Amino acid sequence: MPEATLLLQFLVTGAGTGCVYGLVAIGFCVIYNASGIVNFAQGSFVMLGGVVTYSLWHALHLPLAVAALGAIIVSVALGVLTDLLVVRPLWHRRATMFVMILATLAVQIVVERLTLIVVGDAPMSLPPILSRGPIHLGPIVLDTQVAFIFAVSLLLVAGLRLFFTRTATGRAMRACSIDRDAAALLGIPVSRLVAVGFALSAAIGAIAGILVTPTQYTAYNLGVPFAISGFIAAILGGFGNPFGAFLGGLMLGITQSLATVAFGAGTRNVFSLAVLLIFLLLRPQGLLGTAKT
Amino acid sequence: MTALLELQGLHACYGQVEALHGVDLSVGAGEMVAVLGPNGAGKSTLLRAVMGQVATAGSIRFEGASVAYAPTHRRAALGMVMVPEGRGIFGPMTVDENLSLGGWTQRGCVAAQRGRVLDLFPRLRERLGQLAGSLSGGEQQMLAIGRAMMMQPRLLMLDEPSLGLAPRLAAAILEALGELNRNGLGILLVEQRAPLALRLARRAYVLRLGNVVAQTQPGETLTQDQLGRLYLA
Ligand SMILES: Nc1ncnc2c1ncn2[C@@H]1O[C@H](COP(=O)(O)OP(=O)(O)OP(=O)(O)O)[C@@H](O)[C@H]1O
Ligand SMILES: [Mg+2]
Repeated sequence: MPEATLLLQFLVTGAGTGCVYGLVAIGFCVIYNASGIVNFAQGSFVMLGGVVTYSLWHALHLPLAVAALGAIIVSVALGVLTDLLVVRPLWHRRATMFVMILATLAVQIVVERLTLIVVGDAPMSLPPILSRGPIHLGPIVLDTQVAFIFAVSLLLVAGLRLFFTRTATGRAMRACSIDRDAAALLGIPVSRLVAVGFALSAAIGAIAGILVTPTQYTAYNLGVPFAISGFIAAILGGFGNPFGAFLGGLMLGITQSLATVAFGAGTRNVFSLAVLLIFLLLRPQGLLGTAKT
Repeated sequence: MTALLELQGLHACYGQVEALHGVDLSVGAGEMVAVLGPNGAGKSTLLRAVMGQVATAGSIRFEGASVAYAPTHRRAALGMVMVPEGRGIFGPMTVDENLSLGGWTQRGCVAAQRGRVLDLFPRLRERLGQLAGSLSGGEQQMLAIGRAMMMQPRLLMLDEPSLGLAPRLAAAILEALGELNRNGLGILLVEQRAPLALRLARRAYVLRLGNVVAQTQPGETLTQDQLGRLYLA
């Protein structure tokens, strides 16, 4: 049945993109949990992941893996600087959440413009990280880069789960997300953990950007679309739950892919937003979230 | 001998509103001191001020050193441990995880203290894997105190530990605090149930509208009549 095979094929491709959305969504959740801030600069980590990797690889002729590592480090530095220079001073001044969110949006715009000045507006792409032919699973063809995305995403999600349940720092971050004042009373340095949260989600965002670039392309202005998809995925998953966010990402990727097959590529955003609206109306707590009043 | 905790002229504000207007208070080493007062007197604000959770002016000394400018987590690491109003339990985490978070400042050597805490509250031992939010009110209070004890406090401050508990359970909790105090722990206890608190505490302060309006000396007790007048006057 070629029809069914095609459908499966689109499901797999959609799930691959969905993993990337899921990773971006996890980035939102990690910062939100640690600080209560929705960090709209999340997209700039994703964009820098791709753009910096490309630049180091293409201009400096570094091996791809080294370039990728460099991009992760640049993103992490940006994340920590965003926290230290923007979020923390506002925090100490007891700024409202609205102000903080606008400030992160400003960071997004500044990073985007600086990137435009430094590397220009040409789209860039990377070769697949594993260079071998596609994998055949029965009738389905699995692109190696998509397989690589699956593998890295699952490893990251499993690693994060261990971090949040098994390490003292991870547990303390969860405690902060539940009750920051109570955490501080236990001697937990809440603002330092917010910095760790920014570093962690910058790294995850950069990895998402590196993973996705070989399957399409990247450019200075690609952060925002990914941030929007990741943000929708985070809401679908129940904002604040990293694993729900990842599932939300998968769901969004698959929805977009199916919408593309059924109604054409122009409708994918219509369907993303439709799914978001349906969730907001029928299950506002998201896939794995608990209702907040 | 320097006092464990010494407050002088302590003011605390929420934004423009001042909630404490110059409070003097001290807790000696190994002493149990009660803070009484009606709703809205500023009792919780007093403990938050001591921990640096509201804006303050005035002097806060712990074991002789000023901590007025230290952030909350640093005060906690010094051994100033507060169980807040509402207990501050992490409901979506297990009892065990809550207890180990109490060991954050201890880094490493928590096993022995964990054993002592579970001996003090054997009920917690049976519920280690359970989510803290699913514990009964009394058990949550035991967990809050147990978690505080994991920090090996030098001064334990509690905000209405008996709130919402049946009288017998409240008495049991306060009895456990009395036991800790007899072993040498300094305790600052905020309570609305004055009779319970006064039975255990060596001294008491009565707070009203952000001021200390009465205080007792060791051995002195407030009669029901005096208390009533302080609360209502
Ligand atoms: N977060 C806050 N923002 C503004 N005002 C506050 C805040 N918390 C408390 N207050 C005010 O400070 C005063 C003291 O409140 P506090 O909670 O310390 O009283 P309390 O003695 O603990 O009362 P209760 O016995 O009801 O717990 C009250 O007038 C209260 O309205
Ligand atoms: Mg109170």
